[in-house]
Amino acid sequence: MEPLLTILVILIGIYGLISSETIIKSVFTATIVEAGVILLFLNLGAINGGVIPITDSVNLVIVDPIPQALMITTIVIGSTVTSLALILSIKVFHNNGSIAWKDITK
Amino acid sequence: MIANIPVLLLFLPILVALVMYLVKSRHIHWLVFPLQLTLITAFILFVIAWQGDPSIGLLIFGGWEETIAISFYLDTLNLTFIGLTLFFFTIIFYYSFKANYREKKYFFFLTFLESVFLGLLMTNDLFNLFVFLELTALLVTLLITYRKGENALKAGLQYLLLTSVAAVLYLIGVLLLYYVFGHINIRLITLGMPNVLQANLVKLAYALMLAGFSLKAALFPVYAWLPKAHGVAPSSISALLSGLIVKAALYLFMRIHGGMFGSPYQFGEVLFWLGVISALGGVIFAMVQKDLKQILAYHTVSQVGLMLMGISFAEGTSYIGGWMHIIHHAIFKGLLFLAVGVIIKTYQTKKVYEIRGVMKTLPWTGVLLIVGMLSITGAPLFNGFVSKSMIKYAFQDDDIKMFIFNLINLGTLISFSKMAMILFGQPLKHVDRTRASVSQHIPMTILALSSIVIGLFYQPIVEAIYQFTPYAIHLEDWQIYLEYLFWLSLGFNLYYFVIRKDAKGFAKLREFAMTFPTANFLLLVLLMSFLTLLFVM
Repeated sequence: MEPLLTILVILIGIYGLISSETIIKSVFTATIVEAGVILLFLNLGAINGGVIPITDSVNLVIVDPIPQALMITTIVIGSTVTSLALILSIKVFHNNGSIAWKDITK
Repeated sequence: MIANIPVLLLFLPILVALVMYLVKSRHIHWLVFPLQLTLITAFILFVIAWQGDPSIGLLIFGGWEETIAISFYLDTLNLTFIGLTLFFFTIIFYYSFKANYREKKYFFFLTFLESVFLGLLMTNDLFNLFVFLELTALLVTLLITYRKGENALKAGLQYLLLTSVAAVLYLIGVLLLYYVFGHINIRLITLGMPNVLQANLVKLAYALMLAGFSLKAALFPVYAWLPKAHGVAPSSISALLSGLIVKAALYLFMRIHGGMFGSPYQFGEVLFWLGVISALGGVIFAMVQKDLKQILAYHTVSQVGLMLMGISFAEGTSYIGGWMHIIHHAIFKGLLFLAVGVIIKTYQTKKVYEIRGVMKTLPWTGVLLIVGMLSITGAPLFNGFVSKSMIKYAFQDDDIKMFIFNLINLGTLISFSKMAMILFGQPLKHVDRTRASVSQHIPMTILALSSIVIGLFYQPIVEAIYQFTPYAIHLEDWQIYLEYLFWLSLGFNLYYFVIRKDAKGFAKLREFAMTFPTANFLLLVLLMSFLTLLFVM
């Protein structure tokens, strides 16, 4: 069930990417796609009833730590890209007085 | 000791970048020269050791098992790219040293970009590749928007958002491969690919990665960001982007197509035609441009298409030709952008019809520009000719493909006939000649010389680097010179009687622009067509 929901999040994001008409919406929808991918990746390693892999006990079922390690990096990179994109959006808005893609692409 | 040199290549530039940024000294920028010298020496030492023992190319960190460890893997493919990177960055540092002397941040970003780019080439880990791709995109955006011009900001924003969308597509591909293989080590995935069970998921991953890299390589129809970004950046950065950074995507194409995924499902043909469309589309748009840097930027789209035509064969003469064209294109396109940068600075305009008489005002720049133009149009005795003849080797008996290839060449000749017009005539207004500095001409001369040297002595160079004997080129055959002259005169006449008149349709073509949602839509269409072709074929 959860993988399907995360794929739905990705698809919503992709719809946003091809339909949003302003910069800010595009930045947000790009974030949504990325969030969907992160959730899907985490789902790969998740096991029902599993515990985090910081434990001494050998009897417990532990989740796969690799997706978690990778996704924390993705979140950091994603936030960096988003913040730079927002900074540029502000500057573009100050220059053009508009955040619609139509006015900016000329 | 020598086996650890790849680590040095990655971390030394970062350290030097930080030192340059933090130390308050007016002369700290001089550090880039010892840095480049150290890196190149270390690289040469490593290559010599690697030739004796290729197993040192695999470097695993921390003593972990190879499946979960971070690792570097170096073979002939990425060693050539690393050599090109070191060479090219040295040229760019030299060229921009005097003009950007007081700009700390410029050198900080540039040195940082060098290290990240080297990391991108060396890594043997799909996820680290994603990290390096995103870091490259961030740093390139900062460099494009460096002068904070109005158009540069717009272009930078589009570039950043589009490449991050491409990177997310690639990340989904990585996720699928992790699901199938249980690890993300490129070398082990390559080995395990023939025995894979979930073939459909692998196909999906393949299509997603190809779509992501197509955007990064600015192939048709998702090329729109490239001419904008490369056209508005400072000239040294344009040269860097067109010459080197775009090639990262082609390197990744070579890694996954024919490398990691084998050459699966007869997909070479699809990539070949994708290359044809890009090469033709790029050249058509380039012909109608009036802005010097836009012309060159659209030609990058077209030349990337040519390279993809070569590397789509995955082996043989044409593949090596495509690979060589990547290196040769870096040399001559770098030269063209740098020379045009000097001209634009002197004339204070980018319009091709407003610049005349370069041979009188800047004779040496004019000569270098001619060398660059002869190379890109594939004149015999220059390096462009060597790689172009090798690319067309595999399909020289196929009439349709040869016709298209000649058409692409003709388009290149037409638009460079237009550009050659700036060399002659009288300057239209008073020109301040003092703006061009001598120190900028030395790196350009080095590029021009290497273009000619490769064009003349390709035989030993190709054999040494690619372990391949080129037998598609015959410089002693007088017919090739006549052929070139024929195409040149045809191209010039077409320019003079058709393009120069500037019909109404041309203006529409010239001002054609693509919004971000449209570009995303086209990317999705490209992905869907890859998927359809993969699952139908």
